[in-house]
Amino acid sequence: MRDALLIARKDLLAEYRKKESIVSMVFFGFLLLVMLNIAVGVGRELDGEMAAGILWVSIIFSAVLGLGRVLSKEKENRCIDALLLSPVEPEQIYAAKTMVNFIFMAVAEAVLIPAFFVLYGDRFARQVPMLVVVVLLVNIGFSTVGTLFSAITAGTRRNEVLLPLLLFPVITPLMALAVKVTGGLFEDLPYREYSSWLYVIAAFGLIFSGVGYLLFEFVIKEG
Amino acid sequence: MDNGFKDRALPVVVGLLFLSALYAIFFYAPTERVMGIVQKVFYVHLSMAFTAFLSFFIAFVSGILYLTRKDIKWDVYGSSSVEIGVVFISLTLLSGMLWARPIWNTWWTWDPRLTTALILWFIYVSYLILRTSVEQEERRAAYCAVLAIAGFVDVPIVFMSARIWRTIHPVVIRSDSIDIEPSMILTLMITLTAFLSLWFLLFKLKTSVALTCKRIRFLENKIEGGD
Amino acid sequence: MGSSAAFLRIKGLRKSYDGVDALRGIDLDLEMGDFLSLFGPNGAGKTTLIRIMATLLKPGAGTVRVMDFDMEEHPEEFRARLGVISHQSFLYNDLSARENLEFYAALYRVADPAARAEELLGLVGLSDRADSKVSGFSRGMQQRLSIARALINDPVLLLLDEPYTGLDQSASMLLSGHLRRLHDRKRTIVMVTHDLKRGLEAATKVGILSRGRLVYLKDRAELDPREFEHAYLRYLKGVPDA
Repeated sequence: MRDALLIARKDLLAEYRKKESIVSMVFFGFLLLVMLNIAVGVGRELDGEMAAGILWVSIIFSAVLGLGRVLSKEKENRCIDALLLSPVEPEQIYAAKTMVNFIFMAVAEAVLIPAFFVLYGDRFARQVPMLVVVVLLVNIGFSTVGTLFSAITAGTRRNEVLLPLLLFPVITPLMALAVKVTGGLFEDLPYREYSSWLYVIAAFGLIFSGVGYLLFEFVIKEG
Repeated sequence: MDNGFKDRALPVVVGLLFLSALYAIFFYAPTERVMGIVQKVFYVHLSMAFTAFLSFFIAFVSGILYLTRKDIKWDVYGSSSVEIGVVFISLTLLSGMLWARPIWNTWWTWDPRLTTALILWFIYVSYLILRTSVEQEERRAAYCAVLAIAGFVDVPIVFMSARIWRTIHPVVIRSDSIDIEPSMILTLMITLTAFLSLWFLLFKLKTSVALTCKRIRFLENKIEGGD
Repeated sequence: MGSSAAFLRIKGLRKSYDGVDALRGIDLDLEMGDFLSLFGPNGAGKTTLIRIMATLLKPGAGTVRVMDFDMEEHPEEFRARLGVISHQSFLYNDLSARENLEFYAALYRVADPAARAEELLGLVGLSDRADSKVSGFSRGMQQRLSIARALINDPVLLLLDEPYTGLDQSASMLLSGHLRRLHDRKRTIVMVTHDLKRGLEAATKVGILSRGRLVYLKDRAELDPREFEHAYLRYLKGVPDA
């Protein structure tokens, strides 16, 4: 864990210096919120689930921008070789990158979700503490599987194009669940109405953190 | 000699099984009372769905075996399985739509089974796209193995989450009983056997072509390398 | 001193990519304190050999043993004592020189990363630019910093893959000086290079790798530079690119 924190700290420091990932994620997510607002018709009253769908499409599309960069940055000057040459275990690199992706996503959401309430109406801003829980659980699911897949695409010729092609099919269920639960929150439904879906979201994160932890080594190393 | 005979016998067996399946579907099994002739697509539909699922399971197992043993033959088995599986899952979706249009009055609906099949289609087509994007063989094998494992692990989650949408899909086979006539069951069994034998034939052809290609390339390199 | 056990022993090492053999059976023994310069035409398998020794690649067949390190089960213990310099800098552009070194020092569990970074910055003459971002550094400065980076854990085995490629004059001299000093301190060095002069100057052993085989291996003391140059050019098949 010590090594993972060390690598994550290094990544966050570099991002703090340049802010390139976060800025593009927030900008793109905000742009999508506006475009989707136009797409559904400006001034139209949306029900909770539709609004939740718009929010999650914006978040996931913006998150995928940051995801691709986190590992491809290690390819500059072949720093990834230096990490693999050090006594650090590959699992630690996986944990570090997953943390970084999780944090990037959370920071972007901290801007995008308030922006969403401004654009789509603050009548959806109910059960906010629960919304935070849901968002963080979805982030875990997204960053665990996303980090594994970004390691795959970082080793291909078509990194940035390929990542969403591989990732989106696998996270479609996660998105469906996120929309369902968030829609329930926006409609102010009681906990028992959506709790079982919440468990499936948590299970997704749990399962794929295991899958990523076990398999990351095989995609980051050459042979 | 013996091997050559087996190679030629298998396609004949597959052909005979398919002829019997066709006979059973159209002449032996009774026509369903409510749905009529359209119901007959069910035998083929369910057999193909099962075969597709089997393909993805085999790719999953081959993925694990490749990563633990690092023998390229497991990559050949895995990728051949996925290719065949994608064909069958596509046909499953199409045959389902052909049935759904007259019966449900819609081509498509967001039912858990349909949704799962569609997401599986996306996952394994993305697997095929990934294969074309990596040149180096061992790396491609490792990436594809990981995707085959992650994709298959996703299946139960896909199915669970697809329950979000209510179902109108007929549940024919439950854990406690099978909801159809015995003659229909027999027809289904014959059709399923036919498709499994077809799967096996395709799998054999695909893997033997791929392994032969590798062997040829290996020998070519040996000649060029002067060994 | 102790002559029986080799420091590094490679036996029957083979590796192939996509059915193409990169290494076709390498046997090599090095004593502690040896400095091996490896020459060879492009595609001879030099980089593959270095990457296998560095545990970045797994051997197809054969073994690599370094002292008593268990390369299969606990490669991290070996990596902790390994240094690698390639023509890639392994540096993070968005971090300062000091942050780069402190990060790597911490990864290698150096007792006092800040002090170690300071010491190495002085050693490669970058103390006055310690807090500037690496992206603003000249090529030469980046190379000096990458030398410092490789020495961060005071490696017992140093692997160098074309370290002189693209180095400017002062960085080359700095590197040669450090290699000499490490050699004096009984460090074992394996260097792959195209640079005949630099490769021969400090080496104790000289080898040529061609088409995946170690076709030439001699002690530097027994070697006639002219005869060696001849052999080398023959293996380059009359296309000297050094």
